[in-house]
Amino acid sequence: MTPQVITTDVLVIGGGLAGERCAMEAAAAGQEAVILSLVPPRRSHSCAAQGGMQAALGNCVKAEGDSPQVHFLDTVRGSDWGADQEVANIFAEEAPIAVRELAHFGVPWTRVRGGTNIYFIKGEFVDIEEPLENDGLITHRDFGGTAKWRACYAAAGTGHAALYAVDSEVVRLGITVRDRAEAVSLIHDGTRCHGVVARCLRTGTYFAVMAKATVIATGGYGRIYGGYTTNATINYGTGAALALNTGVVPLGNMEAVQFHPTALSPSGILITEGCRGDGGYLLDKNLHRFMVDAEPEKQELASRDVVSRHMMQCIQDGNGVDSPNGRHLWLDIRHLGEEHLTTKLLEVFDICRDFAGINPAHDLIPVRPTQHYSMGGVRVNKDGEAYGMAGLYAVGEAACWDMHGFNRLGGNSLAETLVAGRVVGARVAEYASGATLHANTGLAFDALNAEEQRTQSLLSREGSSRSVYEIRDSLGEIMIGKVGIFRNGADLSSAVDELKVLIFECDKAVLKQKGPGANPELAFALRLPGMLRLALTVAMGALARTESRGAHFRVDYPLRNDQDWLSRTLVRWQQNAGEPTLSYERVGLMDLPPGHRGYGSDERIEMEASLEEYNEGVLDSQSAEGRLESSEAMGSKLRRYSGGAA
Amino acid sequence: MKTTTGSLKGADSISKARRQVIYELISGCTGLVLALFMWGHVILVGSILTGERGFDWLATLLEDYYVAQPTVAAIFAIFIVHAVFASRKIPAQLRERRQMIELAKGLKQSGREKVPSRRDNSPFVPHLESMLWIWQVRTGMVILVIGSFHLILLGIDVFTPLFGPGPGIDSATSMGRVAAGLWLPYSILLLCVEFHAGVGLYRLAIKWGSGVLPSRHILHRIEQLIFWVVLGLGTLTLLVLAGWMSPPLEFLLSGVSP
Amino acid sequence: MTDKNNPRPRRLRFEIFRYNPEDPESKPHIETFEIDERPYMTLYMALSEIRETLDASLQFDFACRSAICGSCGMLVNGRPALGCRTLTADLPEEIRLHPLPAFKLIGDLSVDTGIWFREMAERTEAWIHEQLPFDPDAEEQRMSDDIAAAIYEGDRCIECGCCVASCGVANVNPEFLAGAGLNRIARFMMDPRDGRTDADWFEVVAGDQGVFGCVGMMACADVCPKELPLLDVYAYLRRRTLGTKIASG
Ligand SMILES: Cc1cc2nc3c(=O)[nH]c(=O)nc-3n(C[C@H](O)[C@H](O)[C@H](O)COP(=O)(O)OP(=O)(O)OC[C@H]3O[C@@H](n4cnc5c(N)ncnc54)[C@H](O)[C@@H]3O)c2cc1C
Ligand code: HEM
Ligand code: HEM
Ligand code: SF4
Ligand code: F3S
Ligand code: FES
Repeated sequence: MTPQVITTDVLVIGGGLAGERCAMEAAAAGQEAVILSLVPPRRSHSCAAQGGMQAALGNCVKAEGDSPQVHFLDTVRGSDWGADQEVANIFAEEAPIAVRELAHFGVPWTRVRGGTNIYFIKGEFVDIEEPLENDGLITHRDFGGTAKWRACYAAAGTGHAALYAVDSEVVRLGITVRDRAEAVSLIHDGTRCHGVVARCLRTGTYFAVMAKATVIATGGYGRIYGGYTTNATINYGTGAALALNTGVVPLGNMEAVQFHPTALSPSGILITEGCRGDGGYLLDKNLHRFMVDAEPEKQELASRDVVSRHMMQCIQDGNGVDSPNGRHLWLDIRHLGEEHLTTKLLEVFDICRDFAGINPAHDLIPVRPTQHYSMGGVRVNKDGEAYGMAGLYAVGEAACWDMHGFNRLGGNSLAETLVAGRVVGARVAEYASGATLHANTGLAFDALNAEEQRTQSLLSREGSSRSVYEIRDSLGEIMIGKVGIFRNGADLSSAVDELKVLIFECDKAVLKQKGPGANPELAFALRLPGMLRLALTVAMGALARTESRGAHFRVDYPLRNDQDWLSRTLVRWQQNAGEPTLSYERVGLMDLPPGHRGYGSDERIEMEASLEEYNEGVLDSQSAEGRLESSEAMGSKLRRYSGGAA
Repeated sequence: MKTTTGSLKGADSISKARRQVIYELISGCTGLVLALFMWGHVILVGSILTGERGFDWLATLLEDYYVAQPTVAAIFAIFIVHAVFASRKIPAQLRERRQMIELAKGLKQSGREKVPSRRDNSPFVPHLESMLWIWQVRTGMVILVIGSFHLILLGIDVFTPLFGPGPGIDSATSMGRVAAGLWLPYSILLLCVEFHAGVGLYRLAIKWGSGVLPSRHILHRIEQLIFWVVLGLGTLTLLVLAGWMSPPLEFLLSGVSP
Repeated sequence: MTDKNNPRPRRLRFEIFRYNPEDPESKPHIETFEIDERPYMTLYMALSEIRETLDASLQFDFACRSAICGSCGMLVNGRPALGCRTLTADLPEEIRLHPLPAFKLIGDLSVDTGIWFREMAERTEAWIHEQLPFDPDAEEQRMSDDIAAAIYEGDRCIECGCCVASCGVANVNPEFLAGAGLNRIARFMMDPRDGRTDADWFEVVAGDQGVFGCVGMMACADVCPKELPLLDVYAYLRRRTLGTKIASG
């Protein structure tokens, strides 16, 4: 069978919110766009987001006084000063537009009801009079780490509603979607990206897509934590692995891995932060609200890294609830009442019923912190352009655009996918309209052949070995056991060693099944090396970072160290090298000087240099790492949004 | 950007959609009329429960005032129209019908217990109605055969007196032929019709009234109640017609002169 | 699940439909696998275990494993259900699994729902036909919370295809929009942002591919994992279409 080569203007790998929104922008600008996705786009993991999407509309009483400025401040504090503040600024300014645009596409946002509303705040019912003139505007719910109520939501199915609305627009624009197609390698010449080689998951055949611009929008890499993740089973992080395999493009902040406080125990299915936002409690085995002692001000609604750590601490102190599947804590939302639970938190109600056999109106929910979000990813500049490679972009959870730094705030991710989709999509369209397609089919055939050969050699291995699934299970155990919430040097370095052994083992792994067609085992075996490589970048980054910042917490270095570590980890994997190399750049131009987050510990090692001195070196340090200059058009746009944040 | 309405548009398909709506209305309305008629029918024929006198009095009355003749003609017409339009929905190919039956059986046999639902129209576990529809089709076929025969018979009964000597509908003829063996097809017909009409009405109510009318479970109860009452009445009627039982309500007319 | 008096786990027997259209030697047949039941085991866990320990070629689809993405519809003992949400404890020891009918088979338990739903979306133009272009500087169009909640209710469909697979009509008439399609139409119909008139809708919703193709088998409503009020939706569409019909003569 002759391999197929497809050409297009813009190729988007990933049909989640970020990828689709980006493709829309390109298509609306007249570029031909093709989307590749492992699953039909609506099944992408964006559909699982429940709680909400942050945007400073300030429509309800508890959101009064909110503005993009306040949103910006919350985001930077949430990030523990790891975020690129310019990006966070663009983001906060654009988020309200993205939310309203979704309303325009048909998302049924929950609205303000003018008149008396009963809310549950900090342990008691409160009557609040919503002004009648706000009736019918998009309303907000409370989320962790924010100064105002800001999360816009559609009941407890925000991501689902948003993804369906955006996918409807994709259908309307007539964008080609190749679902059940998996990108397996990038076609590039070391400086410029020309597309991808993909594998059809229906037939098992390979094809190449040549494009002027290629966008990685493949979501997070939670599955390197095995079953200890809230992520879908398809979140392998292949997109980041593709970039890493180029040897040129760096990944940013891979060690910044978020743990969500409330995943259902033991299945790991997420119970949204909206539960706590709407007034839910965390309880220990004595039914005591330990978060009130730990964080008197924000209580259950401190940022996720902080709450997760307090929960783990609580369990380690012997106050966890024993169960056959390990210790857990309780989430209590009984007091919100069945009416509220079967409307505004319906999906939560269903999950509790279907997977734990409990009714949250009468029963406590067993929860424990679980891997949830990947702050790290393909390192890109403000326009979403990958460092070191023209024509390659990344957007959404797969990217390290870097508005999340070391801890993403709940609800900021959905907002990021749409804001970045718009911003980066515009830039992609601009770039593609200026570029010519180098339909260098020689390059494509070489890449295709390389993949075919890789597959053949995989299939032709004989002998006995651990199965790829066993290797995957070991990977998960190492990551959760040694690269989890509380980290320390000894564990991390043993994790690094063990991961290297796994990589070696994986190179020898023999398949049981060599039959034709999609061959699920082969498909997994092709992904596994990428997952292991990503895991190693996470572990090595964490080992090298001898401080605690956001979600990265080193027991042996418990303080945030702004003197030495106000930097972003970059990691590259040179071709044929046995392990990745780390380097660092400054986090970005700062408006808001490093300070206390307002929750968590106030102790830290301060930066000695002044803000000006720090900012001075930022652009140089980034250019040295391969950052491409932002485009003129984006530059002016950025100027419109930057400035005067603090 | 595509903004036009529809691949379903186009002069041709509009009229097609319209036609199909009208067909559906016809089959639904004729079904409704027939089902209502069958309730009337069970009462009219049920007059035999008061004895032969009551039955004959009513029959003569309806014939003398020319109610019976047009009714028979109209019902016959509606019956045929219903059969024609309703059977549009029956898949043409045997393979397809088999597929439907397999599916319906699977759904009905699967006894997976479900957690109680939050909704009014909560699921039937195990699922029933697909199989009921299959039975509606089957009973429809039976009705078509036996019912046509019955209607022709009654047509002869009511129309011959218009052209010459004939008793019209009368108890002696009826009882005679039922006893002679028609009890068998009649009992089959009775069962089929009451089932078909009962389920049909329930289905009509759901199709047009769900969300406005009481829940599916309540409607289903009502349907079952009516089914058993009418079936009971019809069975009594048949027993009396066949002469195996004396009319239980004869005492009602005992004081009335012929 | 193990019960208290009998600590030995149940031995589950899976009878699974097998066929790989990509393999010229493959013929449709049933294969049997046995595994031990574990507490809280779902079909997702069971099938993964079978694939990882007994037969690596077994094809099936799961993504979210939490009943929100709609990937994993399959016939469980004859009834369409989400594999990820079905607890083996609710099933007898013998479990028959077949791919969803009415969709194109990809292999074993995996079917192509994506194409069906994309075609449905194209045919019904399942997107907002807005009256005005988007203005980034304007406040959002207001909407009462009750209407928003009603639209959300219709929006909850996860396109798992269970309703389609369970419907006798959809199985023999590939044109029929079935539960998911009709529900989607109703969702846009009640949306005040959508500018389509009743006359526009008539062409999409009436006729045998639309709501009048439904003969009221009601399986769709019984199997819908999201418990969408599909029957109410059909009745609403019927009444509204008839209203249009009468109004326009
Ligand atoms: C359970 C859960 C709840 C959440 N709730 C919230 C919330 O309430 N608020 C919030 O803001 N955020 C939330 N998040 C985070 C947020 O949902 C995600 O970060 C965001 O949706 C990611 O979108 P994405 O488009 O980047 O990626 P995804 O939606 O994950 O899409 C990835 C796409 O890439 C495709 N893909 C992957 N690899 C390949 C490949 N090799 N080739 C081709 N295609 C590929 C996949 O098929 C998929 O289409 C939640 C996350 C989880 C896990
Ligand atoms: C006295 C006789 C009959 C009565 C009272 C009757 C009554 C009904 C009713 C009330 C319905 C429901 C209509 C709907 O759901 O739209 C129905 C449907 C149906 N009937 Fe009859 N019917 C009779 C005879 C027949 C005959 C002779 C046939 C022919 C084979 C038939 C075939 C059907 C079929 C196939 C349906 C289903 C149509 C659909 O669901 O759209 N019926 N009937
Ligand atoms: C206007 C038309 C009709 C008339 C005048 C009529 C009249 C009668 C009469 C007189 C009898 C007694 C038995 C006999 O004489 O053979 C009878 C019985 C019966 N008829 Fe009809 N009939 C009509 C239509 C129908 C239709 C459409 C059906 C169903 C398809 C039907 C079903 C039956 C059955 C099942 C019996 C058996 C008695 C019982 O149990 O009620 N009839 N009918
Ligand atoms: S209507 Fe229900 S059964 Fe049908 S696709 Fe949607 S969620 Fe699945
Ligand atoms: S099963 Fe089919 S026939 Fe109608 S009620 Fe549901 S669509
Ligand atoms: S795997 Fe997503 S619904 Fe079952």
